[in-house]
Amino acid sequence: MTTSDDQQSLQDEILDLERRLHDAKSRLKKEPSATATASTTSTDNAALHALLLLADSALPLGSFAFSSGLESYLAHHKPSPPSASQLPSFHIFLRLSLSTLASTALPYVLAGYRNPDDIETLDNDFDASTPCTVARRASIAQGRALLTVWERSYKTQYGATTSSTSRGSAETGGNIAVEALSSFSAALRKSDLINAHLAPLWGLVTCVLDVPLRDSAYLFLFSHARTVVSAAVRASVMGPYQAQAVLASTELQDRLRGLVEEGWERNVEDAGQSVPVMDLWIGRHEKLYSRIFNS
Amino acid sequence: MSFISPFAASTVKAGYGSIELAVLPPDTPVLRNVSYQYPLKLVAPDPQPPPKYGTDSGAPPLVHTVFLLTYGGGIVAGDAINLSVSLEGRTRLALLTQGSTKIFKTPDLALVSKQHMVVHLAAGAGLIYLPDPVQPFAQTAFSQSQIYQVENDQSSLCACDWVTSGRSARGENWDIYQYKSRNEVWTSDPAGKKRLLLRDNLILDKHGMTGMLLSERMDAYSVFGTLIIRGPVFSGLARYFMDEFEALPRIGGRDWGDSGEMETSLKEQRRKDRQSREKADGLIWSAANVRGFVLVKFASREIEGSRNFLRDMIKEEGSVEASFGERALLCLK
Repeated sequence: MTTSDDQQSLQDEILDLERRLHDAKSRLKKEPSATATASTTSTDNAALHALLLLADSALPLGSFAFSSGLESYLAHHKPSPPSASQLPSFHIFLRLSLSTLASTALPYVLAGYRNPDDIETLDNDFDASTPCTVARRASIAQGRALLTVWERSYKTQYGATTSSTSRGSAETGGNIAVEALSSFSAALRKSDLINAHLAPLWGLVTCVLDVPLRDSAYLFLFSHARTVVSAAVRASVMGPYQAQAVLASTELQDRLRGLVEEGWERNVEDAGQSVPVMDLWIGRHEKLYSRIFNS
Repeated sequence: MSFISPFAASTVKAGYGSIELAVLPPDTPVLRNVSYQYPLKLVAPDPQPPPKYGTDSGAPPLVHTVFLLTYGGGIVAGDAINLSVSLEGRTRLALLTQGSTKIFKTPDLALVSKQHMVVHLAAGAGLIYLPDPVQPFAQTAFSQSQIYQVENDQSSLCACDWVTSGRSARGENWDIYQYKSRNEVWTSDPAGKKRLLLRDNLILDKHGMTGMLLSERMDAYSVFGTLIIRGPVFSGLARYFMDEFEALPRIGGRDWGDSGEMETSLKEQRRKDRQSREKADGLIWSAANVRGFVLVKFASREIEGSRNFLRDMIKEEGSVEASFGERALLCLK
């Protein structure tokens, strides 16, 4: 009891000190910095808003149609009494799937964001690195959907960065990114060599939308986890409340953060498969007798 | 007038080697150059005419074979091997090994052994690279890359890259520090701009935040492999893999007893035999037709499972043996 009381009082004191520090700071730079503070919050809000848009499960990418190999994995790992729970093997799959995504696709997200001009090369190289038709189809379907969302929904709002509206440090980068995205989207209609894979486009679109890169990478991995978990719910592996618990867990948070950290400096040339059996599960999805997903 | 030395030229740097296969007009393939330096060793037996030479008018009159060896049968920590291979038009080369490439223990994680190979394939040239698997022992760090540069879609390639879990007899099961293997195929457009056609990059190390041992990540498989097939010389083989993948029984399908009683042709019987052996060997595989390649991925519980699978498939189809001779399949024996 006493320790919790002590902690309580300490926390109160901290809160009080923080409030006083905040007050003091705001008094210190009252007049000159008032506008600056306002503008940072507004750009922060803009980034948050874009993040919310992309994190929405109603974002029409069609991700719900893909299980990223989960369905095939479960078919390859039938529980020994058929009534046994598939939950333990699901948890293994989720870890392996995130590891694969981080080693194969994440470098392309980062590169698409950092080098918008290279989008066509990135798209080609990602296509060359995707060894199976099923995974390729899934990635292209979602990439093209993202491009359509950009064209039809975001372009009017975010396409005009040339205007005077200040977009902070990303201003020049944003312009290049918008141009790269527009010319890529135009080239897609003309060339057979362009595929529009999700990973590099995700990087490019989040760059245009001014989402900070770390958030963009984190959301890319999180969306994948959400898609796989949601597929698990529909494949009757777990219930919707368990699913939310998995997504909310610190275990998942730490894993996503760790993967972003690990992959932060990795070049696209060094992207590769870290779980070789994943290629087989995904590739053999075509051979399943019954399927409810496209991958 | 150029003078061609009958002796192997000496290259200066350790571990460097080179193989050049040229065409002596009008139509005779010759090994213009085979050179190597310790710890790499290349052995080139006499070229042989393909078994069916004369019936197939398109084939060149001789097929060359080169064995890729290392002193001591393996790669010691810190070794670096650099091999460059070049094939002119209408030449055929089978690149083989004699036994698995063993990777020996490294005293330090940072000391990575390396093997690097660059292959130039002119239009009309055909390379089959069917080595024994790489066998990295426990506590090893190894990184290899095979970079193929093809002139156009008339350059033919069939390359296998497979790795095992170590010395299973000693209980080793993916107890390695690091294993990386990269296969890339590049081409250049007329303007000279390089374009990546295929990248197959396997990375086994401690990263990935899985919190699992490498052996747990491998789902109880001890062999993983990739077969890359491309070009007119191997088009029959490529088609065969795709057809057989198509014909695999459905996973989770049931036999209702209404399909078994039909007359089975010899081909169907062989297919059935192979499929039941795959099942017994715990072998799974997949094939995909992407970007002008057929890419086959396979995994098995034991090395023999993968060997059986590759040998069965390549022998049944028959075109490799017909154009390269039986010797090209030595590593699958």
